[in-house]
Amino acid sequence: MRRVPPLLYLAPAAAVVVLVALVPVGLLVARAFADAPSGLAEVLGDPLDRAAIGNSAVQGVASAAGAVAAGYPLGIWLGRYAGWGRSAVRAVVLVPFLLPSVVMAFAVEGLFGPTGFVGLPLPALRVLGGGVGGIVIANVAFNLPIVALLTAAGVESSPAELEEAAASLGAGPLRRFRDVWGPPSLAGAIAGGLLTFVFSALAFAAPIVLCGARCYTIEARIWSLDTILLQPTAAALLAFVLVVLLVAPTLAYLELARRLRRAGPRGRSVRRPVRGAGPWAITVGAMVGLGLLLAVIGAVVLRSIDPSGGSAPDLSGWTTLGAPALALRTGIPLGAAALNTVAFATASALTALLLGVVAGFALVERPAAGRLLQLVAFVPLLLSPVVLAFALSSVGRAVVGTEGVWALVVGSQTVLALPFALQTLAVPLRHRPRTGREAARVLGAGPFRAYLDADVAGVRSAVGAAALFAFAISLGEFTATYFLTSVSAARFATLPVLLYELQSPGVRAFAAADALAAVLVVLSVVVLAVVGWGGRRLEL
Amino acid sequence: MSSDVLEVAGLWAHWRAKPVLRGIDLRLAPREFVALLGPNGSGKTTLLRCIAGLEDPTAGTIRLQGRSVEATPVHRRGIGLLAQDPALFPGRTVAENIAYGLELRRIPPAEIAARVGLLADLLRLRPLLHRRPEALSGGEHQRVALARTLAPGPALVLLDEPFAAVDARLRSELLVGFREALRATDTAALLVTHDLEEGFFLADRVYILLDGSIAQHGTAGAVFDRPASPDVARFLGYNVVVDEGVTWAVDPSELSITPGAEGEAAATVVADGAIGRERRTELRLPDGTHLLARRPMGSPPLPAGASATVAWARVRPIGGGLEPSARTDPLDPSRRPQREG
Repeated sequence: MRRVPPLLYLAPAAAVVVLVALVPVGLLVARAFADAPSGLAEVLGDPLDRAAIGNSAVQGVASAAGAVAAGYPLGIWLGRYAGWGRSAVRAVVLVPFLLPSVVMAFAVEGLFGPTGFVGLPLPALRVLGGGVGGIVIANVAFNLPIVALLTAAGVESSPAELEEAAASLGAGPLRRFRDVWGPPSLAGAIAGGLLTFVFSALAFAAPIVLCGARCYTIEARIWSLDTILLQPTAAALLAFVLVVLLVAPTLAYLELARRLRRAGPRGRSVRRPVRGAGPWAITVGAMVGLGLLLAVIGAVVLRSIDPSGGSAPDLSGWTTLGAPALALRTGIPLGAAALNTVAFATASALTALLLGVVAGFALVERPAAGRLLQLVAFVPLLLSPVVLAFALSSVGRAVVGTEGVWALVVGSQTVLALPFALQTLAVPLRHRPRTGREAARVLGAGPFRAYLDADVAGVRSAVGAAALFAFAISLGEFTATYFLTSVSAARFATLPVLLYELQSPGVRAFAAADALAAVLVVLSVVVLAVVGWGGRRLEL
Repeated sequence: MSSDVLEVAGLWAHWRAKPVLRGIDLRLAPREFVALLGPNGSGKTTLLRCIAGLEDPTAGTIRLQGRSVEATPVHRRGIGLLAQDPALFPGRTVAENIAYGLELRRIPPAEIAARVGLLADLLRLRPLLHRRPEALSGGEHQRVALARTLAPGPALVLLDEPFAAVDARLRSELLVGFREALRATDTAALLVTHDLEEGFFLADRVYILLDGSIAQHGTAGAVFDRPASPDVARFLGYNVVVDEGVTWAVDPSELSITPGAEGEAAATVVADGAIGRERRTELRLPDGTHLLARRPMGSPPLPAGASATVAWARVRPIGGGLEPSARTDPLDPSRRPQREG
């Protein structure tokens, strides 16, 4: 019997990405160019579209700079120094990244807004509770984990042996930073900064919740053009512009991430005690970044029991959250939203995991498949949630109808979670020795069976982590799900969508929104605690 | 003031409150080559890292050329360190790697070039000077690392099993080259290894480290002729036997075996096989003592389980070496001074 070429095991993941993402987006853009051959020039000349491009650039750059400034010391501290609670900090750091973006916007409002825990006593800081300032703070808190963890990965890739050799030759702390561990840590921070730029330029919830139309990013503008202004052709052309603009930073991020993975960890990684002025300065900087994250997470939880900020505890949000009257106003019953959330996240996580495990076979059999795997992971990063949902909504709905919107939600969440599930699996699989697989083959197992028994079984905790990571990302996915369910498909809405609807102008149930946001925070923390309990690190 | 290049006195180190080094005393004279031998886990690398300044001892003193260095950070101690991992800078050429320590000392470029050229000739690196580390073989990596270590002219070089990852043939070649280079540059060296052959071949003197304590030191001949304790004897590869109440060390090649049991020296053959140009036989005495014999290739094979009579042509006395350290663990709570009420 002829053996299936290992590279073909990448095909299922690639097929899902092509069918769920590339084909719909391609068809959408092709149709827009066919309908309006000169439309691109009009889009680029439209002042509101240009403003959206400008907003994306400004918010992206400011957020990236802020996330690097706040996340770099935290990343160094995590990667280099020994300290009490380092593992717990590593887990806490990821919480904001797994939270729905709309929760982050709420958190910033709850912290720095006029009735916020900081904004109420310090009016001067209210500038950070809304407008561009608020958006940037929300983006920084959301993306700081990426910068911190990629910086830590860079630091850990620098072998202790090289630093010890440099020190024995006379290199002092600054020179060792310059020659040994500084460059990889900066590469990590820059990779994190690029990813922050991409995610912030694509921000959807923060501009809508914290500022409004004057701060719309390209994502928000696409959503507005399609669902409010009913100009799908202009929206599709703007989506094309967005994809083109994101190619360079996404490619740059992927290249830096690839170099980081190739670089390390090569030798001993040593945790040093915090001793001396430099390490203490880094520790203080790390605690500032960690403080921002804890303040944001804490603000969400505190607001749920004190919605007005600083007055007596008020649990009305929790008691009204499941009330039928509220469900009537939002059109989304809490129970149904919770069920949808869990069902969609489970389906997406299992699909992403299955695709990842199958693709992993190509990686262990042909290490060069790593490049192709990167390409598969690259597409979902490039196609923003709004562009993906817009394309699925325009092209996919014609195929599945309104009743089949759930399938589009699961498809979009799978594609968005896939890069992270692939990455979490690929890193440990790449380092598996081939001896176990060869032993299984000698004993009579077929190639794929040997891979499952020796390699996949050997990275069980990574498999669990990938599933939970994908689950958490799907659980918190707001942008695409909102886009797909907001038009006559509310029965497929999830908890993050309900959260957004609770504070929308027609409902304004802020206390209930605060309570639901707290529920989502707790869910994310539980998922991370389970992953952390299994001793597995999530890979970005 | 002592003329020793290195003087370690009463050095203790702990890992999670457990003593790893127990009151180590050690000295190195200028240009001397000393090997620190011991089994895995005996504390050799910890001792080296304490001397280098990469780990902090719990108690004791370290003096380099008469200067106390416990509070001196690693980059100001002025000693060279060469580990098993050569740890070359990946972005630098061989020449730039060798020049690294000289650049840090702000040596003029012409002087750096001359010094790099000298070391390149000494270690046969001249054709490799413009290559990057990824284009070098394992042995070349180690030679570049040694050149880089010697370039700043340290009075002492610490070698932490630098040949552990290279094959036997290359190792012997490197050993000779390293020794020549160290002699040519008048550099003292402390070599950490668990390989007896490597240590005894290179060193002027050896220290035997067992379970965190110096069990014996001296010249190779003196240590081999009179192991200080049964543990040292076993580490050196001797059989340890008790004859008429006295403990002796017996070299495996000086053990003679006759098939058939006879008296107290009757032993059971555990295994027997030919290795290279000799026959190796493992035996067990009735009291459980394990013996190893190396016999000439023509010796008759002995089946496992067979009885044999063992005799030894020559024995070496055991003992008369170092007394066990009388120092107490500085972290031992029962030894801490009590505060007076």
